Amino acid sequence: MDTGLLKGRERQIHEKGDKPFEIECDKGSLSGAVSQRACVFCGSRVVLYPIADALHLVHGPIGCASYTWDIRGALSSGPQLHRLSFSTDLREKDVIFGGEIKLEQALGELIELHSPKAAFVYSTCIVGIIGDDLEAVAKRASEKYGIPVIPVQSEGFKGNKRAGYNAACRAMGRLVGTGDTSGISPISVNILGDFNLAGEIWIIREYLERMGVEVVANITGDGRVEELMRAHGAAVNLVQCSGSTMDLARMMDDRYGTPTLRVSYFGVEDMAQALYDVADFFKERDPGIVERAAALVREELSVLMPKLERYRRDLTGKRAALYVGGAFKAFSLVKAFRLLGMKVVMAGSQTGTREDYEELHAVTDEGTIIVDDTNPLELVQFIKEKRVDVLVGGVKERPIAYKLGVGFCDHNHERKEALEGFVGMANFAEEIHRTVMSPVWRFVPRNEESCGE
Amino acid sequence: MRKVAIYGKGGIGKSTTTQNTVAGLVEMGKKVMVVGCDPKADSTRLLLGGLAQKSVLDTLREEGEDVELEDVAKTGYGDSVCVESGGPEPGVGCAGRGIITSINLLEALGAYEEDKGLDYVFYDVLGDVVCGGFAMPIREGKAQEIYIVVSGEMMAMYAANNICKGIQKYAEGGGVRLGGLICNSRMVDNEAEMIKALAEKLGTQMIHFVPRDNQVQRAEINRKTVIDFSPEHAQADEYRALAKAIDENQMFVIPKPLEISELEQLLMDYGLFG
Repeated sequence: MDTGLLKGRERQIHEKGDKPFEIECDKGSLSGAVSQRACVFCGSRVVLYPIADALHLVHGPIGCASYTWDIRGALSSGPQLHRLSFSTDLREKDVIFGGEIKLEQALGELIELHSPKAAFVYSTCIVGIIGDDLEAVAKRASEKYGIPVIPVQSEGFKGNKRAGYNAACRAMGRLVGTGDTSGISPISVNILGDFNLAGEIWIIREYLERMGVEVVANITGDGRVEELMRAHGAAVNLVQCSGSTMDLARMMDDRYGTPTLRVSYFGVEDMAQALYDVADFFKERDPGIVERAAALVREELSVLMPKLERYRRDLTGKRAALYVGGAFKAFSLVKAFRLLGMKVVMAGSQTGTREDYEELHAVTDEGTIIVDDTNPLELVQFIKEKRVDVLVGGVKERPIAYKLGVGFCDHNHERKEALEGFVGMANFAEEIHRTVMSPVWRFVPRNEESCGE
Repeated sequence: MRKVAIYGKGGIGKSTTTQNTVAGLVEMGKKVMVVGCDPKADSTRLLLGGLAQKSVLDTLREEGEDVELEDVAKTGYGDSVCVESGGPEPGVGCAGRGIITSINLLEALGAYEEDKGLDYVFYDVLGDVVCGGFAMPIREGKAQEIYIVVSGEMMAMYAANNICKGIQKYAEGGGVRLGGLICNSRMVDNEAEMIKALAEKLGTQMIHFVPRDNQVQRAEINRKTVIDFSPEHAQADEYRALAKAIDENQMFVIPKPLEISELEQLLMDYGLFG
């Protein structure tokens, strides 16, 4: 591989080939590399954000709130309170004299105005430095207004996004176990790590309900405070998205013995596997569930596969690159692209662990670049070198693709079409097809030669 | 105009020493401004005769950015100009940021302009250089000379040594220098010799030894400096001598802080066997 790499980054990149697989990961970003990762606060914010009937109050300067305002666009079937961004708008005076009084006033005002079921108070960098006592303020507000008020210890400088996930999980951990679990079916699950950005959680719930499984809590897509409070009544946690909610699943396993099934709802194979795993888990309590799952998969595939065949004809041999937050999504995407006849020539994640990358290495083809915590310069290099037709990523990767005249598929906060489930696979294939096959690419610099012909 | 900052361990007598010295300087005909950099806002009490004045930050908090110099600068003993930075209540907010904001504001208000005809500005800073905010008075363009108030007590010497580390850091970039140690006696054995030896090791001088005298207390109870309260008293002459020494001082150095072991040795040598 060539050269444009920053010194100190070499060991976080591996091109699958003759050499034994080795990669460094799960560490701080290289200074000056302009990592695509976000800060601790942002990590907490994106995990808790979809809890729709909670108040989300960012205790900090206005920028922290404004840059994460409606960052996910997560859909709610009911309340929309989560889509507003509230801030204590800390100024110089508040930094000097402390922000606690302002926070207390803001909480009071907002709780009276919006009657939320709970309030999350996010700590930002400056609050961590001046040492405002969020616990004390939250406790007083909680007593005064009779709702849970929960501090999220998400000071931006404490680490990277992963530390933010952990802070979010600890905050949710304070709600779980406080609600009434009576009436919950023995065949029940919580859905963890899906954020309902474009209605995905509704698709998954519908599949589970068709199989006879009750969903107790959505964590956190289309989430509700009361659901979280009784989540410990579910028989099992289905955890998607490797980093964001695993800490909560572990906490629930420790406290309530709730087991975890790791699942992915992207792509045909993983979606089907998720349903089979759930059926397998409950088969002793409900022997009919295995057949119901198989029937569901059969039914969905009979609709999906003919559609895919059409796209597959055009897309065979095209090349995709993907860069995602958690590595789990990358595994599913590699498989999904293979189903479309495409080659994944680069796959990476912001927060993958060694085990994640070993699995990613196992599922990818020879010559695929595997990368941890990449940056814009590297992405540009990989995309050019591997002659990529479409990049899959989030909002920060999009301009890189467009500047290079390469197609882009948002598989992150800003997607507007559901990409999960069998129906999601059809949407994904259609979107990829529309993007890759667009006639516009004839006019971009990378195709100048063929354009001139 | 000379810009001076006074540091030293909490409770060592920085504010008392500063105000008594300022009284000596104004008696010599110097025009002096004192800027208290302590959230307690008690650095100008003796010069103002106990008058509680509005601090810079209180004014900023209550009246917004629209602050006039006259709102925060009061005239004290011998036409000295007295300003208190102020700051948050104990245990909340960030006093360090308060000092940064306050000193910037004073500059913006033109407190140090030529037309004010000042010979001296004294920054009386709370305790140790605990964080970046408390180092604000010694950053570039602020105080150029530092005096550390110290006694022969071990913790006071530790603190003095620590403050020297802060000065060393800012000396390289901003040009601040150490002018000397002021020994405010606690009646420790061999105190003057020990502080002289400490000063020598740090590469500086003991600029004056202020003996302990209850007249300082009596003056304080009467909300006055000793020079103001009892001009004929011997202790008043001590502060006059200190003021003169500072006025005539030519020795400005970048200190060389001691290793802890060296400091311990100094205590052993003078404190035990002297």
